[in-house]
Parts: sequence; C-alpha cells; structure tokens
Amino acid sequence: MNISIPYSWIKDYIKTDAKAEDIARILSLHSFSVDKIIKAGGDEIFEIEVTPNRGDALSVLGIARELKVLLPRQGFKCEWLKKEYEEPKNLDVQDNIEVVIKDKTLVPRFSAVIMDNVKFVESPKLIRERLENVGIRPLGNVIDVTNYMMIDKGQPMHVFDYEKILGSKMIVRESTEGEVISTLDGIDRKLPSGVIVIEDEDGRLIDLCGIMGAKNSEVDENTKKILLFVQVYDPVKIRKASMSLGHRTDAALRFEKGIDYEGVIPALWESVEMISKLSGAKLSSGLIDIVNYERDPKEIHIDFQKINKLAGIEIENQKVSSILSDLGFEKVGDGNVMVPSWRYEDINIIEDLAEEVIRIYGYYNLPAKLPSGEIPVREIDKTFYWEKVVRYFLKYVGFFECYTYSATDKENVDENALNLSNPLNEDMTHLKTSLLPQLLDVVNKNQGYSEKIKIFEIGSVYLLSGLNSEDKIPDQPLRLGIVTKGIDYNELKGILKGMFDTLGIKYGLEESLGIKYEIKEYGGERLGVEFNFDDLVQKATKVRAYKPLTSFNSIKEDLTFEIPQGVLYPQIEKIILETDKRIFKLEFKDIYKNYLTFSIEYLDDEKQISSEDTQEIRKKIFKNLEKLGVKLKI
Amino acid sequence: MDNPNDIENIKKYLSEKLETVSSVDDISKIRNEFLGKKGFIGKMLSDMRNISSDQRKDYGAKLNLLKIEVENMIDEYSGKFENDKDSIYTELYKSLPGRKPEIGHINIITQAISEITKVFAPLGFNRVRYPEIDREYYVFEALNMPETHPARDEWETFFVDSPNDEKLGRLVITPHTSSGQVREMLKGELPIRMLNISRCGRRQIDVSHVPSFYQFEGLVIDENISTTHLIGVLDYFAKNFFGADRETRLRPYHFRFTEPSFEVDINCGICHGKGCKLCKGGWLELGGAGMVHPNVLKAGGVDTEKYSGFAFGWGVERTYMMKSGTKIDDIRNLFSNDLRFLEQF
Repeated sequence: MNISIPYSWIKDYIKTDAKAEDIARILSLHSFSVDKIIKAGGDEIFEIEVTPNRGDALSVLGIARELKVLLPRQGFKCEWLKKEYEEPKNLDVQDNIEVVIKDKTLVPRFSAVIMDNVKFVESPKLIRERLENVGIRPLGNVIDVTNYMMIDKGQPMHVFDYEKILGSKMIVRESTEGEVISTLDGIDRKLPSGVIVIEDEDGRLIDLCGIMGAKNSEVDENTKKILLFVQVYDPVKIRKASMSLGHRTDAALRFEKGIDYEGVIPALWESVEMISKLSGAKLSSGLIDIVNYERDPKEIHIDFQKINKLAGIEIENQKVSSILSDLGFEKVGDGNVMVPSWRYEDINIIEDLAEEVIRIYGYYNLPAKLPSGEIPVREIDKTFYWEKVVRYFLKYVGFFECYTYSATDKENVDENALNLSNPLNEDMTHLKTSLLPQLLDVVNKNQGYSEKIKIFEIGSVYLLSGLNSEDKIPDQPLRLGIVTKGIDYNELKGILKGMFDTLGIKYGLEESLGIKYEIKEYGGERLGVEFNFDDLVQKATKVRAYKPLTSFNSIKEDLTFEIPQGVLYPQIEKIILETDKRIFKLEFKDIYKNYLTFSIEYLDDEKQISSEDTQEIRKKIFKNLEKLGVKLKI
Repeated sequence: MDNPNDIENIKKYLSEKLETVSSVDDISKIRNEFLGKKGFIGKMLSDMRNISSDQRKDYGAKLNLLKIEVENMIDEYSGKFENDKDSIYTELYKSLPGRKPEIGHINIITQAISEITKVFAPLGFNRVRYPEIDREYYVFEALNMPETHPARDEWETFFVDSPNDEKLGRLVITPHTSSGQVREMLKGELPIRMLNISRCGRRQIDVSHVPSFYQFEGLVIDENISTTHLIGVLDYFAKNFFGADRETRLRPYHFRFTEPSFEVDINCGICHGKGCKLCKGGWLELGGAGMVHPNVLKAGGVDTEKYSGFAFGWGVERTYMMKSGTKIDDIRNLFSNDLRFLEQF
C-alpha cells in the first residue's frame, strides 16, 4: 500500500539534519521503497510503498520510528521529539452510552468518549494543508482530527453526532444478508451477511464498522455532542466486507492489516486534546474501554548464530542487540526479547528478527558468494532437448513459432475441457484442449501476410481427465501443434518425415515403429496436425545405427507404375521392399494422375551388382505387383 | 570391339573428344556417340553374346560400371562448359540478391527462456517444469499463505470451475512458478538447485500484462545457504545475462514465502547508476527474491535445522525485454501472433 507522508509532518517526531533525498535513499535501502518525492507548497512529500506486513508503518509515527533507528547509523543527527499525552483527570461525567457486543471476537477492543459543546468549524490552515498534501479533503475540525490522527498514528477513528445515536445505545453485531446502510458518501449499500455493523436502539444501522460511517449519524453544523470512537476490529472480517462491497477505504486498509493494540488509548487521548483545542469541546463522559481480548506478550529468543547463518556473515552480538533494542524489542532475560505491540502480528520467529537485523545492518554490506556445495545430479528431462531440436528443425523449414493463451472460447474446445469460474472475458472462458483451433485462428488472422503460412506451437493443453488421479489435477500433456496454409498435403507430410528423421524416429513398414498422426484438412488450403510431445520424446533418439559402407557401386533407376483405384502407396512400398534384400533404397519421386514414379537403388553388399541382377529383381517386382493390379507404365 | 581391354581406350578417347567441345551441341553429339543405342557402349553390350558364358557375367558388370563412368564424365564436363559460358547476362545475374531459403522464426519467448537457462546451467541449476494448473495448496497454503490471508489477493488468480478438494483446495491457473518449490522439495532429493520455467496465468490484460506469461524460478536448498549466496547467484546472473558491467542490489520487501524477503534491483544499463529518464535513481527493478521461509521448507519435508535455502521468481518476458532493449510498447504483442511481429525475431 502506498502512502504519502510530508517531511514537515515527520519533523513533528524527529529533529534531523538529513535532507529529503537522504531520507528517501535510506528508507528505500533499509525499510520501504520511496517511489518519489513530490514538492508541494514548500513541503516535500514522500510517496512510500509500505509492504503489506507493516501495518504499523502506515503512519507518520511509523515512518519516524524507522528513521530514528536508521538515521544515526547513517551519520545523521536524529533527536526524538517525544510527544506525551495526558490522561484527563477529574472528569465531569454526564453522558454515557450503552454498548452491547454480540460477539466479542468482532471487536477485540472498543474505546470511546463523549464530548460536549462542539463547535463544528473549519480547521486551522496547517491541518487543512497537511490533510490536502496526503490526499484527504478537509471537512471540518472534528472530522479532520479523526483523519489527521489516522495519518499521524495509523489509527482510524470515527466521530458520531451523539444525539443521532437513538437511545444512546450501540449494538455491535454481524449483518444479515440484504440489510441496507446509507454511508457517508451518500450511497445505499446492500450488505452481505457477516459484515460488522452497529445499530442504535431504534434498530437503525449507524456504522459500517471499520469501513465508513453512516449518513444518519454524521456530524454537521448543528452537532453539539460527539462520540469519538477508536476501535480494533477483526481484520479478516473487515477485509472480507470491504472486498465484497468493493469499498476499499483508507480506514479499512489499515484495520485489515492490524492495529497497534496499545496505541489505541494514546491516540484517543491525543485526539481528545486536539478536538478540545480546535472546537472548544469538553469531555462529558468517562473513558469507555472494553477489552474483549487480552494479548499474551510475545517473546522470541535471540539466536545470534541463526541470524549470522541467514546473513552469511558475522554480525557482532552487540550490534544485533542494539539494532533490536532501537527497533523497540526490549530484552526480557533468558536472551529473549519482547515483540513491541506495533509489530505483534508481523514478528513471530527468529527468521523475522533476522530480517530486521540484516535490513538495518544493510543488505548492501553483504558480500556476493556463489554456493560452494556439491552440484546436485538429477536425471535430465530429455523433453527440453527434443523441444529445441523440433523448434530448430521447424524454423529452418520455414515455420513461425507461436504462443497462444491458455484459455480460449467454448467453440475451440472439446468435451474434455475445463472452464474458468472467473474468466477475463468471453473469448477466454475455457482451458484449451488442443493447440490447433487457436493456431487456425492465427492463420486466419494473418491471411494477408503471405500465400503460404506455416506456424507451430509447443505448449500444454489441459484436460478434465486426471482430476481423479492422486494429484487431483488435470492432465496437462505437452503438445506440438502444426498448422499450415497454402502448402500441399504431401509437402506437409514430407516435412513431418524430415522431422522424424531429425528426431531419429524410424517410420518403417512396421506401424509400431513410427508415430501415428492425422493431418486434418480444414478447407481453404489449411492443414493441421498435432502430436503428444511425449510420444515424440519416447521414440526420439540421438543414436544412429551405422551401416558399413561397401566398396561396390549401386545402380539407380526410376520406375513408373500405373496404380489401379483402391491400391495405396504403403501396400506397393511393402511389396517392392520385400521383393529382394538388394533393394537398398526405395523413394517416392513423383506422381501424375495415377502414375507413380519411384526411385529405386539396388546394391549388393557382397559383390558388384550387375544390370542382369537388377533386371532379374525388376522382373520379380513386376510379378509381385501384379497381385495388386499394379503395372509398369509403358 | 570384342576385346575387354577396350574399356580403357573408350575412356581415353572420350576425354580427348571432350577437350574439343565448343558448344552445347557438341556435347549432345558426344553423348549420342557413346551412349546412344548404336553408340560404342550399346554396341559392346550387344556384342556380349560373342563372349564365353563363364566370362560374360564379369564383363557385363564391368560394362555397366563403364557406362556410369562415361555418363558422369559427360555430365561433369557439360556442367563445366555451361557455367564457363561467357554470357552477356552474367554480370546482371551475379548482381541479384540471391534466393534465400525459406526460414522461419523462433519466438522471442523461447529465445528468452533458452538464454536464461544457459546462464544458470553452469551453476548446476537443473531445469524442470511443474503443473500449470494446480491446487491452491501448492500455490498458497504450502507457501505460508493460509486461506484467509490477504496476500492471496495480490495474485489476480484464475479459478477453474471444478469441485473444491477438501485437502488441496480449489483448482487454479498457477499465478507464479513458486508453486513448484514445494513440489520440488517433496521429491525428497537434497541438495536442490532448481530452475523451474513454466507458464503462469493472472487475471489481467493491458499494455504491460497478459493473462498468460512465463516465469523462471530459482530454488537452492543446501546446508549453510545464506543471503550472501543469493546475492552471489543473482549477481552472476546479472553479469552473464545483462553484461559484465552490471550490478545488483537488494532492498527489503515482503513475501509470505520468504524471510527475509528482497526486491532485487539492477543498475541501469543506460546511465550506469547515475539516474536517468528510464530508471529510478540509477536502478531498475528486476523482481522478488528471499530466503525460503521455514514453514515452506517444512511443507516440503525439509529439515529446517540442517537446511536453508533461497528462491527467486521473475517474469521471463519482462527480464528479457530489460536486456535486449527491445522496447515492446505493448506486451500483448507477445501473444497476438501477428506474423509481422514474429518475423522480427
């Protein structure tokens, strides 16, 4: 969460010779990133990205606390201008309020006071300017004080017009679904169940707790008495409510990160003092302070060795202790420290303490070292290697590699698809079950690019099957998808053969050797084929069987056959190859109508093959092919 | 010509003849003279019947060889002859740009992944891949983010419409590669030097976000692993990936699954740390890292007394773009598959 903190305001807490730039640099390297310094009306405003674990630092006090630890270590002066608050004495108690808390876990701490003789007017210039500098609109003194204290101390507060709380009674409870509250911004908000709300004796909802007050109890010019309200709420409840209402106020964002339990009363008394000063109001009640939950003090043992082990260097014990004590971690004996109230939620284990110590010490003071341990030996996943081989092969035969989104529309998936419960848009509702539909979309989108388009993708698809496996996650096989436009069926088939050759995948006569695939025709000269990449990996090999070269020459010739209808290439190929072992190579050369031309190479490993030999083999081929009705073209 | 010795003579005669050639026509005449039906070799073949049957086989094979040799000699010569021909167009032909073979393109994402993998390989990082659709347990719980924790909101997670599993939670598109950390640990092999590069998904799309993207996640677990090692490895990466003159620094940050947690910066390649328009005071943000949180080690069944570790997980596309200076103004281009875009890489 980003906060704006004016430098002049920080100076209420510390006196230092550091410039704004120094502060920005030091905070960035040791605490929080300062995104920028904005100059406004002679002031310098830090924009600080406070990490989500540090609710305690969403305030001027919190930032000042960090600087108090950091600045002296960086050679700057830093004097803490401690602000004392005084608990009022001899209260003139006239007013009270009846509080009913239905469920104590909703409000761990409930504190309030009532003040009389309020004069609701504009705040002094300094307060108005400071509020404006942190992006809050001044609305009048008593309201401004609550906002001012939220920025100053990190404690959100609220003021009610006391007389608008009917029956002087507050019932804190969870909402039931469908209840409506009209908040200060004038919006009627329909509530889900489980939101913390307050109702008065008449059953009117007067507060959307921790998020925003209600219109019906707001302070205005006629207000005489106010109820000043300082609470600690269940952070999870506040977060859920604020999220489901889509109403993320500054107050909610602070409440949900946790409030300093022990900061509540000091903040309340300081506000009372400020309200008295600005509006002339006087306390008319005692302190109402209901503590529903007592926190146990949290102690952690300082394991110096562990801190050094995590850092990787030796930080002297004395340095560690001084950093921790400056951060508010008090020594409590047995080598333990007590976690300060404002860090209660965040600091739990020695690693947390180590982070505090090392970041103050300075990460930039740690040297760079490469791990020296043994290099683990693992079985290498061959998939990565073969992916590379396929990618390069396809690149060099003219293919473009694509990456398509994991989700697509319903039209693009089959019955094995999973759908998203919160899709981004209507085009991405289902998880893809094949790479081809989206690749076809790519081809269609790129129509004008060229007459020939050749694209591929290697990526996972996500299948409903697998959900019942031990892992309870979908099957996610890696696929290779290829889509072309403007190239001939046979050309694509030839490319695939080239790919198999490159992968060392044999595709001989035996079906079991090769990879089964189907080239799909989509019309408009578009073709597509998809492989389970794992099938390719299973059969791919770097091993090449070496055949000794013979010193004999081969004889090559082309033969053209006339193929009757119904006879297919593999049948002819098989017959020819099985005719004689001296048929060394048989390759498809050309086809015109049903005239099929083969290139045949004859070779005898044992002696020089003669034309008589080839003639004899040729005759046998003709004879064998007669069975299929295949004849030599004359 | 019934004497087998003539085979040598024929070759000699042929080479003499070829020397005299001066036009393409001459070549075809020679071809006919030697290889035509009534040419020398044709005649020799038909004369074979005059040879005794025991010699005939051997002689036939020799003749066949001769035929091939003669063919080759003529072909070779005719090729030479044509090339050497002094054409009036030669100069023009040679000035042409050449015919480029059809070559495609490997996607910039793949290029980025392979470069990143290469940098980490010498340090013993083993590349792995973990499920892209996984259960909340591995994505959040095991990473020290209990069910109600607000940190879960930071990842704009896509949920799959599928029954919730009591133990493992809902099915999600992994919003980060860190979900692979505990899966890697659960393999039970230590020490670990893992490089997990996988596809992730987050529910956002604009000029700098796409719903599908890639991350690379480094995880090192061993005895005595400390922050200095994290700095060492990231520095090594920065110098080998971005350039020897580059440096990194750590800033404090917060992640639930690391403690301490860091944000890693690299000094700006343009101004080298002085500060310029492109960087933040001389530094650019690379991504998050940290020492693995003991709760995460425990979820992975690793003995936290004995072992410690560090991890980092950054966007592949973003990191690569910071290197190459390919200022892709709209990251959606990466998944738009416009061939005019792809052909540039």
